[in-house]
Amino acid sequence: MLFGRNKKNPVKMVDKGIQKWTYATCGYCSVGCAIEVGTNAEGKVVGSRGVAGADVNRGKLCIKGIFEHELFESEGRGDNPLVRESIHQGYRETDWDTAAAKVKNEIRRIQETHGRDSFAIVSTGQLLTEEFYTLGKLTRGIIGTNNYDGNTTLCMASAVSGYKRSFGSDGPPGCYEDFEHTNCLMAWGSNLPEQHPIIYWRLQEAREKRDFPLIVVDPRVTMLAQKADIHLAITPGTDVVLQNALMHVILKEGLEDRDYIEANTNGFEQLETEVQKYDPTTAAAICGIDEDTIRNVAKIYAKADSAMSIWTMGINQSTHGSDGVVGINNLNLITGNVGKKGGTSLSITGQCNAMGTREWSSCSGLPGYRYLENAEERAEVAKFWNVDPEFFPKKRGLAQTDIFPAIETGEIKGLWLVATNPMTSMADTERTRKILEKLDFLVVQDCFADVETTQYAHLYLPAATWSEKEGVYTNTERRVNVVRKVTEPHGNSKSDLQIFNLIASQFKQSEQMNFPAEPANVFEEMKTLSKGRLVDISGMDHDLIEKSRGIQWPYTEQQADSGETPPPGGKRLYTESGTFRFADGMAKLIPLPFIDNNEVPDEQYPFWLNTGRLVEHFHTRTKTGKIGNTNKYSPIPFMEINPDAAIELGINQGEYVRCVSRRGDAVVMAMLTQRVPRNMVFIPFHFHDCVNRLTLGLLDPHSRQPAFKQSATRIEILEDQEAAAQLSMEMRRF
Amino acid sequence: MFKVRSDEPKYAFLWDKETKSENCHGKPITLTSEGDELHGKSLNINDEAGIGENPNRYKQHGFYLNADNCIGCHACEAACSEKNDNPAHIAFRSVGFVEGGTYPAYQRLNISMACNHCDDPVCLKGCPTRAYTKYAEYGAVLQDPDICFGCGYCTWVCPYNAPQLDPVKGQVTKCNMCVDRLEVGLKPACVSACLGNALDFGVVENVPENREECKTEIPGFPRTDITNPNIRFQQTRQTHREMTRTDSVPLKYHKNEKTGIFKPVVDRKKGAQRKWNCKKLMLTHESAHVAFTLLTQAIVGAFVLLILGDFSGMPALADVKASSNYNILLTIMLVLLTFGLFKLNMHLGKPHRFYRGFYNLRHSPVSREIAGVSLFFTALAGYTLFSWLEIEAMSTLFALLGVVSGPVGVYYMYRLYRIKARPFWDHWQTGSAFLGNAVAIGAILIGLVTASLGQMSDSFLSSMALFVFLGLLIESIGHIFHARDLNTEDGEGAASWYEQTTKFGWPYLISNILLASAILMAGWFIVGPVTLKGWLLLTLVVISAAAIKRSLFFALVIPTTMPGAFFWKNEGFQEHAKETGLAEMQQVGVAYDRHARFKTDELIETIKTTSLKEVIEQLKSIFYWKEIK
Repeated sequence: MLFGRNKKNPVKMVDKGIQKWTYATCGYCSVGCAIEVGTNAEGKVVGSRGVAGADVNRGKLCIKGIFEHELFESEGRGDNPLVRESIHQGYRETDWDTAAAKVKNEIRRIQETHGRDSFAIVSTGQLLTEEFYTLGKLTRGIIGTNNYDGNTTLCMASAVSGYKRSFGSDGPPGCYEDFEHTNCLMAWGSNLPEQHPIIYWRLQEAREKRDFPLIVVDPRVTMLAQKADIHLAITPGTDVVLQNALMHVILKEGLEDRDYIEANTNGFEQLETEVQKYDPTTAAAICGIDEDTIRNVAKIYAKADSAMSIWTMGINQSTHGSDGVVGINNLNLITGNVGKKGGTSLSITGQCNAMGTREWSSCSGLPGYRYLENAEERAEVAKFWNVDPEFFPKKRGLAQTDIFPAIETGEIKGLWLVATNPMTSMADTERTRKILEKLDFLVVQDCFADVETTQYAHLYLPAATWSEKEGVYTNTERRVNVVRKVTEPHGNSKSDLQIFNLIASQFKQSEQMNFPAEPANVFEEMKTLSKGRLVDISGMDHDLIEKSRGIQWPYTEQQADSGETPPPGGKRLYTESGTFRFADGMAKLIPLPFIDNNEVPDEQYPFWLNTGRLVEHFHTRTKTGKIGNTNKYSPIPFMEINPDAAIELGINQGEYVRCVSRRGDAVVMAMLTQRVPRNMVFIPFHFHDCVNRLTLGLLDPHSRQPAFKQSATRIEILEDQEAAAQLSMEMRRF
Repeated sequence: MFKVRSDEPKYAFLWDKETKSENCHGKPITLTSEGDELHGKSLNINDEAGIGENPNRYKQHGFYLNADNCIGCHACEAACSEKNDNPAHIAFRSVGFVEGGTYPAYQRLNISMACNHCDDPVCLKGCPTRAYTKYAEYGAVLQDPDICFGCGYCTWVCPYNAPQLDPVKGQVTKCNMCVDRLEVGLKPACVSACLGNALDFGVVENVPENREECKTEIPGFPRTDITNPNIRFQQTRQTHREMTRTDSVPLKYHKNEKTGIFKPVVDRKKGAQRKWNCKKLMLTHESAHVAFTLLTQAIVGAFVLLILGDFSGMPALADVKASSNYNILLTIMLVLLTFGLFKLNMHLGKPHRFYRGFYNLRHSPVSREIAGVSLFFTALAGYTLFSWLEIEAMSTLFALLGVVSGPVGVYYMYRLYRIKARPFWDHWQTGSAFLGNAVAIGAILIGLVTASLGQMSDSFLSSMALFVFLGLLIESIGHIFHARDLNTEDGEGAASWYEQTTKFGWPYLISNILLASAILMAGWFIVGPVTLKGWLLLTLVVISAAAIKRSLFFALVIPTTMPGAFFWKNEGFQEHAKETGLAEMQQVGVAYDRHARFKTDELIETIKTTSLKEVIEQLKSIFYWKEIK
């Protein structure tokens, strides 16, 4: 039956009147999707879409990217620098010159009183690479503190550390195209549908074309675990045991790639000796995966023509995060699965420019994967920047997670936080509060004035965000992609590059150095410094990057000059024998003894406390918590708890409960689901004053990354549900 | 025309090469053929005159969901809201889920659902303003918010929760199939955005590449026999025997081992305890409907009793008519009815568009109800006026109009609640309750007003008590059968019954006790002497019982909808957000129900800008509909 109105009215559809699309790269996670931002005739940003011809996302975007254009005008953006003498006072607005002079004066005052390293800088994975590079130059070349690190310590430090220990350098060797070639994919503590939905789509496309086994290691039945052929519901914190057991089986059955091991690795004998201790029967008792499954998985992985492992925070955020990465590398090295199509160790990293900060920020070294410990590399950079090489420290200073305890002990008196929110993101919130309270001077530089750290700041610097500025990001497959400026910075905020340049100009030393104002010129400096390095970007420039929809490094000047167009994707590292970054070109096989130092559940705190990400939120919700069309899917914190455990405790679906750990407590709404085992609860980490009030965050000895995912908690019912609801609301402003 | 990019990816394009001739319900897929009146017309999208070159333009299209593949990433919902510029509290497409199994053999089945552009669009038939059109182009069911007056009836009748009533704008909007994209050969925005390769779109019954099934059912999807929705599914992976909902609706889905089909059964998730929840009951969003339906039924009942009682020469009622208080009684009735109508009208999202309520007399019981009740209101007003003026001929004319239009109005009031997607209402008891209330409360009203205004004969209230008794008896018999039928049913009706005996257990029990007491009292009054005080008490008991029962009627209905998620589309959480004040943050995505403003200026503007010719045409179109086969 059809009904025609007698007179058809015109069909009305929303027309946003987009006149212009501006190219950008998504500023949320590290997948690095190319995105176009639409502006209407008045120049107002009104829409966004995925770039159809970009190899990474091929026109698709995830929920966060689709609404990223609403970011510019979202609540809580900072308009003007804010200043106060003490944190008990209210803020007053000030101008940029006064603010910049204040930063310089306070840094020098603190350094003169307490020593050069008593002022610390904690940066981020959120800035553009040119900004990272400039902050590095300012810090290493002028300010001179060695206590300079990024919040990337909270998310991918273990991957960096593991890559360095195994291959001699950071830099993920694989790429997304590997999905199209691999014959076995093992995902360790990585939940692509929730964390990296576009990469999941690439995987799904590959799996629809060609079936290959997907093995997922995760204590929760995540969406990826549900899609897996084999789900290994591992006991938290025991990945290394599983890895050793897998290698035990591979070596015992003679499934290793002897030729590859000979030609590419050192240390095989030591590894062999260590893994002999981990027969599947012994391992099963520790890691919770039965011995037959261990044997089965080992055989599938080793027998596959090519096999790859991906991992995310399930490995990294652990007391043996770095070891877990080395374990994956070991597994791939003995089976000959590095640097070949579909065979790789691919870390799926977190922030949009976590890679950019690893490459260029000088946080843990000097630009272009250079080491402070290497005199030649110090001299090279010092000469290029026109700085006295002796001004550089001879070895790396404290990591973020060691900077905070150093404030606690009084060694550090001043702190500059750039686009990071430790009040929500670091373990043990109450301790973090006490630490921030102790500072003589805290400057917070962020695109949001309502970021929780401003509660303890003396000075707030409003920064521009994402495509209010121009520059590049590097994604998880080493692809450099560009962000173009689509709109002016909000209010009187400035780009982070402008802020760094302004502050640099306050110091006399800057007169003999060069701080280019234009991002493209900063990029030229980086190009020069990248020549001959692993991270060679000398063939790129902003325009070529946009035209190519992102270019994977290395792409050298020689390649560009010879007219070699950058390939759309599929570039790998270590494709030739013996090209690893240690002096002899060999990778290291490192034995990994297992030490169990986690806070495991006991009678008092009978539940594992697991934390993780939700697709609709990014990090500490300063962005996604204000955009209704992302936030609404989880507007308040909740906790996944097994229904059988909940019934025993008398908890009903949707009730608020109190979680208690040895550090503190948190109020969350209970979601009853069999997704988690009976002795585990899962709480997303995005919410302020929530799960990180509970977490312990023991540090990895190599990477200094906290173990967010392994602590113990108990659950208490709350009689007064109304009061709990009010408390849950009051604990966060958005 | 929508602009296709030069490098538009392949997955964004429609793919139907061949199409079937009939859908699985035996309906032709081609909706109009060359030479037909509806063929070759522009959709006039935003007044653009072009005609799309889509080769399947006149074929019924539909969404396809591979439920095995949906990962619940919200990309479809986001792409839809981005394209349609929807605020957080409105979504044309939503993803909910059901889950089953025990750790680690746990399974979550996500279901992404928008409008199914049904073969038999009940929204279109139900809409009193004719805001809906089913187009020959793609078979799209489109709704025009500029016509809608925000009554929300389409949201009641749709089994899939597709039309979205926006309490802020006071209007309904819904999925528009992205017809602008279809015109240029592109799939809808949600489908192009899908990251699990779960959603697809094409001519209905066509199976996308690499897919094998074309089912009409998956666990959690509401029944399809009401509207023949144009959605097809694949779901080949084994599901658990029982799939539960995470939202507050007390339903789960149980597999029939023989057929493999899931059907909804009650999930007693809130225990068996009898509760009060008085505040929730009395403050339902539908309290305007409680007042309107009860008042209208009572006044119609009273009017018919008065007129027919007098006509048939029933002494008690003839006495009333003859008494000096008759006109006061009529005036009170008129005031009460006016109040009821006012409450109803102000309940609309756009009350100043009230006059559009008649537009769909052809199909909508709502239009017919509004027409009936409006005529009755006219009749009562006229009758009252001429009774005061003592112009017999005129008052007889209006009396005649009233005794016809009143019952017609109440009949369609009953018909409009017989909604298949709302099994709790879809029972003859709805009719018996309306009839019983009309008779009982009508008689109560006559008795109360007349007796309190002056001396009546001893037998007067006893005669009225007979009507009260009969009315309440009719109502009670209905309730008994309703309870019996709900108890033996599965699904949403049984879930309503579960809530009636638990969530609202005490009010329900009390209303039954009140009703039983009222019957006993009325019975006693028929035979024994009645005092005014006694009558007052009866009035109180009857009105209390009716108010509680009618509030329960609205509060208990559980529609056949899609399962929600834990926060989004979870009625329990929405309620919680409103109670606690979370809803005050726009980004929580829950909007408060608001009282709409009567925009007199908009009404005057409409009157000014509408020519007489247009008015006549509009009136004509109420009675003359072109139906195109």
